[in-house]
This record gives sequence, structure tokens and C-alpha cells, in this order.
Amino acid sequence: MGALAAAIAIGLAALGAGLGIGLIGGRTVEGIARQPELRGPLTITMLMAIALVEAIPIMAVVIAFMVQGR
Amino acid sequence: MSQYRKMVIRQRKWMLYLLSVIVLGAGFSPYPMFFFGLLLGSVFSFFNLWILHRNMERLGEVAIRKRKRASIGTLTRLGGAALATLIALRYEEYFHIIGVVIGLCLSYAVIIIDLAVYYVMQEKRS
Repeated sequence: MGALAAAIAIGLAALGAGLGIGLIGGRTVEGIARQPELRGPLTITMLMAIALVEAIPIMAVVIAFMVQGR
Repeated sequence: MSQYRKMVIRQRKWMLYLLSVIVLGAGFSPYPMFFFGLLLGSVFSFFNLWILHRNMERLGEVAIRKRKRASIGTLTRLGGAALATLIALRYEEYFHIIGVVIGLCLSYAVIIIDLAVYYVMQEKRS
């Protein structure tokens, strides 16, 4: 049961993070390709968004391993 | 120096300051187990931050030069977090797991606080 819980936790978190990061990265690359002079500010904004999105799956990985370890 | 490079150096500096404070805590505080966990998490968090910065720069290059492949390295970072957790669970007599979790999130906190401060300062200037 613990392995199933861990798999669901990691899987759903990775799915959400993948979707979110894909959208953020895709739009930023589009923006940089259109206006290369805005590369710096766009990359900085993307970094902040990715930090917000990625903290959740990292927590999910930790929780999943803790659940499986019990 | 570009705005991005300046930000990278600033965030690395903050992480190094925090790491040194944690090392002091591990050496001299009455809670060494918690600080060892925090140290383990922070080291992996610093690695994650380094990977994130490196891949962001590469992504910008890819967008400008119109190459095909680009990766942000999410899997590597998740692997880093998993490795830190595994080490903490394997040697739980030395590392406090909550400390590891807080340490792993330290780089994200540094990014968000640093950029929030940066945007507020920019607003004040303009």
C-alpha cells in the first residue's frame, strides 16, 4: 500500500510540474525568440515561476520516500 | 555583466552564506542532528540551484540560436532530492528528516525572496 501511495504522490506531482514547467518554458522561449533583447528579464521571471512550481514535486518526492520507508 | 549573471552570482552568494551559518549551527548548537539534516538538504539544494541556473542559460541560448533540443533538468533535480531523502532515511541516526526537507526547499526560498526584493527595489528606483 505504501508503494502505491508513493507512486501516486510522485506521479501526480511530476505530472503537474511537467505541465506547469512546460507551459512556462514554452512561453518564455517564444518570448525570447520574438524579442532577444528581453532575454535577461524573461529568464529571471521564468526562474521565479519555475521555483514556485518545482517546490511542490520536491516535497512530494520526499513525502513519497518517507511513506515507502515506513 | 548581464542582469541574469548578476542575479546568479547574488543567489549563489546567499546560498553560501546560509550554508556557512548552517555549518556553524551543526558545530556549535545543541541540536546537531537537525543541523546535519539541514546541511545535507542545503548541499543538494545548492546543487539543484546550480543545475537550474545552468539550464536556464542554455534555454536562452537555444531560443536565440534556434536550436532544437533544450532541457530544464527537472528530473535531475528530483533525483537530487530523492538521493538526499534516501541518505537521510538510511542514516536516520545522524540526519533529522525535517531538516533535510527544509534544506531542500532553501534554494527555492532564496530565489523567491531574492527576486521579490529585486522587483521591489526596481519599483522604488523607477
